[in-house]
Amino acid sequence: MSAALSLRGLSHAYAGVPVLRSIDLDVAPREVVAVVGPSGAGKTTLFRCLTRLVRADEGVLEVCGKDLMRLEGGALREARRDLGLVFQSYNLVRRLTALQNVLVGRLAEVPTWRVVLRRFPDAEQQLAAACLDQVGLLAHAHTRADRLSGGQQQRVAIARVLASRARVVLADEPVASLDPASAQSVLTALRSLATDHGKAVVCSLHQVDLVAGFADRVVGLRDGRVVLDVPASRFDASAARDLYAPHRAKV
Amino acid sequence: MTDVQDRAGRAHVVLPARSAPALRTRLARAALLVLALVGFAGCLRLADVDPVELAQGLPTMAGWIGAAIPPSTEAIPTLLVRAAETVAIAVVGTVFAVVLALPLCVLAARSTTPSGWVRIPVRLFLNGLRGVDAFVFALLFVAAVGLGPFAGVLGIALHTWGSMGKLFSESIEALPAGPLEAAELTGAGRVKTSSYTLLPDVLPSISSIGLYLLEFNIRASTVLGVVGAGGIGQELKNSVDLLAFDRLATILVVILVMVTAVDQLSARLRKALA
Repeated sequence: MSAALSLRGLSHAYAGVPVLRSIDLDVAPREVVAVVGPSGAGKTTLFRCLTRLVRADEGVLEVCGKDLMRLEGGALREARRDLGLVFQSYNLVRRLTALQNVLVGRLAEVPTWRVVLRRFPDAEQQLAAACLDQVGLLAHAHTRADRLSGGQQQRVAIARVLASRARVVLADEPVASLDPASAQSVLTALRSLATDHGKAVVCSLHQVDLVAGFADRVVGLRDGRVVLDVPASRFDASAARDLYAPHRAKV
Repeated sequence: MTDVQDRAGRAHVVLPARSAPALRTRLARAALLVLALVGFAGCLRLADVDPVELAQGLPTMAGWIGAAIPPSTEAIPTLLVRAAETVAIAVVGTVFAVVLALPLCVLAARSTTPSGWVRIPVRLFLNGLRGVDAFVFALLFVAAVGLGPFAGVLGIALHTWGSMGKLFSESIEALPAGPLEAAELTGAGRVKTSSYTLLPDVLPSISSIGLYLLEFNIRASTVLGVVGAGGIGQELKNSVDLLAFDRLATILVVILVMVTAVDQLSARLRKALA
């Protein structure tokens, strides 16, 4: 199966300090990859480069066969539509309902006047409702986003990605500010994006104990390098200790 | 907390000495203080501040107060109509300003208009409008469209356009960028993404700004009549010119009641929006 996301030699430096050093990574459709590593390992920079919010200095960044590093303007905008983002801070429009937030994923498909008047076609509303149902929040369709709990808001954000055309989902610390039960429900929803909807999911995590039962593969980052790339079943306590330990020794 | 207290009780904590500011810093501070005092003295002189003249004027003013009591009542119906005119000038001027400011605030905010080629000229334009007082605009419009409240409306609208555009754009910039970024990733155009993701969250703060400026404009409109731009200010000027102090007193009471009522109402509405 060809990779949905493919990195070759992706490198980036901030003010001359290398943050990412020649990252290679392939993620297939239906696959969930967890990115772990100590603070400062380059996880956040990697995610910013993946979306091209930051343009990496060099390397290849292929999303569904298109190299985002070589695209500009309209072509880049078009190619980025294959990407879906799940942020640590949910990034919902607070005063819109859960359903209206999911419809953000459909903005490109709907005429401008309908968006401005917030009058979406029935078919789009049905689709958004189905996406909310997938993450178990259909009952909250008409609840305002700022009245939902953190875990529920994050699941609305996942439904928003599901409603969009995205085939590669990037989740940067999606459960960092959630309690364990909410974190589990969010990861289950992310997992289902891959298993039930064939999307490729890349997710950075702070808590290594959440990896089991969620990810297929674990990629360990340290000092801007991939130092570990193993099936999740082989990522055990000692592997986690090795990944985090040398960093602590340096401090 | 008890933890810290325990530790502080047992171990002797030595607070590090705070180093005294260097001589240069102290001299600079003293020089700044002297400069400020000299500057203020200069301002007093330029402003012709003279306590003696104030003291000499006091008996005259006391005479006016005597003449103002009791305030006249026979003009109250006329004055109420004029007060309503003042409110109308402020309301119409403010609404015109909202209509004019809404499209421009999007062009003046960094988050929605990253290009400086558009944003900076728009900002300069808004600042220019804001820099000219409604009173000054009204003065010009009286010459252009003639005496009366319409000149006042135009003056209020133009000045408020500037203030409002600036404040609206600042509240757009204060919104978190995340929801907009998430929407932009879908490839949808700027009109769609900003109207859909920014407008709902910015609405409470722009309504609040609108009400605040309405309040401000009602106060500003009370003096517009002095330059012939309608409202209760015209009565105010006539009464002063004619030395009709009993009537002047009534006018001041009407203004006070009107402004207080509007302030209260608007404060309540803004609280409900928050």
